[in-house]
Amino acid sequence: MILEFLQDALFAAIAAIGFAAISNPPRKAYLYCGIIAAVGHSVRFLLLNTPQFDIHIVIATAIASFVVGVLAVLFSPIAKTPAETCLFPSLLPMIPGIYAYRTFGGLVMCLYHGSEGEFAHYFYLFANNGLTCLFILLGMVIGATTPIFMLKRISFQATR
Amino acid sequence: MTTTTTTIEITEATHLYPTSTEVGLFLSDYAGWLLGSGATCIRLEKNIERMAATFGKKVDMTIMPRHIHLTVREPGSTELFTAVASICHPVISFDINTRLSELSWAVADGKIDFHGAREEFERIILTPPADKRFVLLVASLANASFCRLFGGDWQAVGIVFLATLCGFYLKQILCESKTDIRLVFIICAFVSSVLGATDALFHLGSTPEIALGTSVLYLVPGIPFLNSFSDMIDGHYICAFSRFMNAVVLTACLSIGLCGGMLMMNMGMF
Repeated sequence: MILEFLQDALFAAIAAIGFAAISNPPRKAYLYCGIIAAVGHSVRFLLLNTPQFDIHIVIATAIASFVVGVLAVLFSPIAKTPAETCLFPSLLPMIPGIYAYRTFGGLVMCLYHGSEGEFAHYFYLFANNGLTCLFILLGMVIGATTPIFMLKRISFQATR
Repeated sequence: MTTTTTTIEITEATHLYPTSTEVGLFLSDYAGWLLGSGATCIRLEKNIERMAATFGKKVDMTIMPRHIHLTVREPGSTELFTAVASICHPVISFDINTRLSELSWAVADGKIDFHGAREEFERIILTPPADKRFVLLVASLANASFCRLFGGDWQAVGIVFLATLCGFYLKQILCESKTDIRLVFIICAFVSSVLGATDALFHLGSTPEIALGTSVLYLVPGIPFLNSFSDMIDGHYICAFSRFMNAVVLTACLSIGLCGGMLMMNMGMF
């Protein structure tokens, strides 16, 4: 469990740093992106893998995204960059990529299979994965962007 | 004597407060670059209003998907200037975004005057992007890490790394040659998914589905999606919808490329 937890944090940090590079951030932002992503993903990992919590992935992602948002705003005056610079790449490791892929797969398979039983099965997979994907994304963006608006004073004075 | 004093006062006033035309031209360029480099609408409004107030002006803006309509006026005066600026920078750059935000605060805090700000702006927009080879390497590592996060085995991680390396390199080449971004997404998703399918084709690992699904995720337009929600929360619905549609179109192109790759490799799902 501890090894998995640490591995999760490490890979989330690498993913955040790598995806941050695509959007050309200032160099000093890389470190903060890695830290914030590692903390955020660890929070989600703990929420999902601790039996006492028993939280759905949508709620867990929304809470973790909120933590990421708060950290990004609080770190922004230290990093001297807009909060979005660290926020967006740090969120990306939580993007429900596999759910999106399965949604798309379900849709394609619906087109391939005309019989009622098979179609219903693949449509179920499409709808089930699609709804989960959509609500995870909604939870993520609302959870992550709310702190920017809640802490406007810090968010928009970071580069001062 | 009186005339001389008046002249000096006018000169000083002119030096302190540039004309609405000068401010309008500068702010419209600034707005075009800031929005193009990936800033949200609320940041744009705050930065522009902060600088305009320092120059003794008031600004009203309409932010459209590809243009910004900006009117500058001086309180208590009938003089005003209107400009329509195109959104300039085609590639998201948080480095330029950060520097332009810093510039707005430097102006507001009186650390730099109007002409200094104009010169600094011209320097900032020449900021080169990060080294391409570095970006290629870390983006490939990031996507491979993604694969591991989704539960992929080490074979899948290796395949995703290679699939991303090839796909992203192709994306860099195609973007350099000014190929339409939608076509770039289709081609890169196709190439990456074909390479991602090799896990299943050669029975290399036990998680071929994750390798294939993750191989195209570096193309997901995350920042336009997140910016669109940020704009929506702030009430900029047209801009939010525009950014959202842009991201949806790119995601659809990604899906077309992925579908083509899967058909070519005869890969089923589930």
